[in-house]
Amino acid sequence: MSETNMEEKVDQTTNSRTISLPISRVRLIMKSSPDVSCINQDALFLTTKATELFVQHLALSSYENGSSKDTNSLSYSDLADTVEETETFQFLTDILPKKILARDYLKTLEEMEKEDDNL
Amino acid sequence: MDGDSSTTDASQLGMTGEYMASSHFVLHAQDDEGDDGLNDHEDGNECKDNLREQDIYLPIANVARIMKNAIPQTGKIAKDAKECVQECVSEFISFITSEASERCHQEKRKTINGEDILFAMSTLGFDMYVEPLKLYLQKFREAMKGEKGISTVTVTEGMGDELTDESFANPLPAGIITADGQQQNVMVYTTAYQQIPGVQQLQFS
Repeated sequence: MSETNMEEKVDQTTNSRTISLPISRVRLIMKSSPDVSCINQDALFLTTKATELFVQHLALSSYENGSSKDTNSLSYSDLADTVEETETFQFLTDILPKKILARDYLKTLEEMEKEDDNL
Repeated sequence: MDGDSSTTDASQLGMTGEYMASSHFVLHAQDDEGDDGLNDHEDGNECKDNLREQDIYLPIANVARIMKNAIPQTGKIAKDAKECVQECVSEFISFITSEASERCHQEKRKTINGEDILFAMSTLGFDMYVEPLKLYLQKFREAMKGEKGISTVTVTEGMGDELTDESFANPLPAGIITADGQQQNVMVYTTAYQQIPGVQQLQFS
C-alpha cells in the first residue's frame, strides 16, 4: 500500500522541474567525501533530485509505519523504527540510535547480569 | 551568493582555514541567516572549530518543507525528527557519492558522471529512484536545449527584421537559422552593406 503511494509521490516530483534544495550545498557535501575530485553537472543534478526523493521516501515511510495513527505527527522514534526495519535505510542505523529511557536501560543491564549469574 | 563562496573556501579548511583570520569567519557567520549557515547554528566564534565534514547539512527549512509535502496535509513533524532527517540526508549524499567515486577510481576516471550516480543508487538499494531520475534528467536536458534554441532564434529574428526593411524575400530569416546561416548572413549583408551602417557590425560577428 505504502509503496503505491510512494510511486505516486515520486511521479509528482518527476513532473516538477524545480529543485527545492541548494545545489551548491549538495556539491559541498559530495566534495567532503574522500578522493572525490570532479563532479559532472548531470551527477550533481541527479544527486540533488535523488536527495529530494529520499527525504520524501523516508518521511512518508516513517509516518505510515510509526505511531502517527495515534498522534498524527512524525516523531524521532518513528524514524528510528523505520530505519531499523527497512533494509534500504539500514545505512542510517549508526546516526539514528533508538532512544530509550535511562531506567529501562538500567533494568536491561540488571537482567543481563542476573542471567550471567544464573549461568 | 557571498555566503556560498565563503563556504566553498571553508571546505578547503586545512591550511587555508587556519591561515584566515578568525575575524573572517566571524563576519561570515554574522552575515549568514539561519538557513544559509552551514550548521544552522548561531555561534559565530565557534564556527571554525565546529566546521567538520560531518557537520555540513542542507538547510533545515528546505528539508522540512519536502517532508511536509510528503506526508498527509494534517500531519505534524517533531523538531528532532526534522533535525534527524537533515543529518540522514547528508549521510545519504555521502553514501551515494563514495560508492560512485569508488567505481570511478576502479575505471580510472576522474570525473563522477550521471551514470555513476545512477549505478550507485541501484547498487545501494535505491533502484526505485533510478527510472524517475532518468526521466527527470531527460526533461531537464530538454529544457536546457530549449533555452539555447530560443536565444539563437531571437538573435536571428532581430537581424531578419532589419533585413526585411530592405525588401528581401521572406524565406531569408528561416535560412539564417539553418547551420549555414552565418555564411548566408554575410552574403545577404553585402548587398545591404552600403545602406544600413548597423549591419557592418554584424559582419564582424
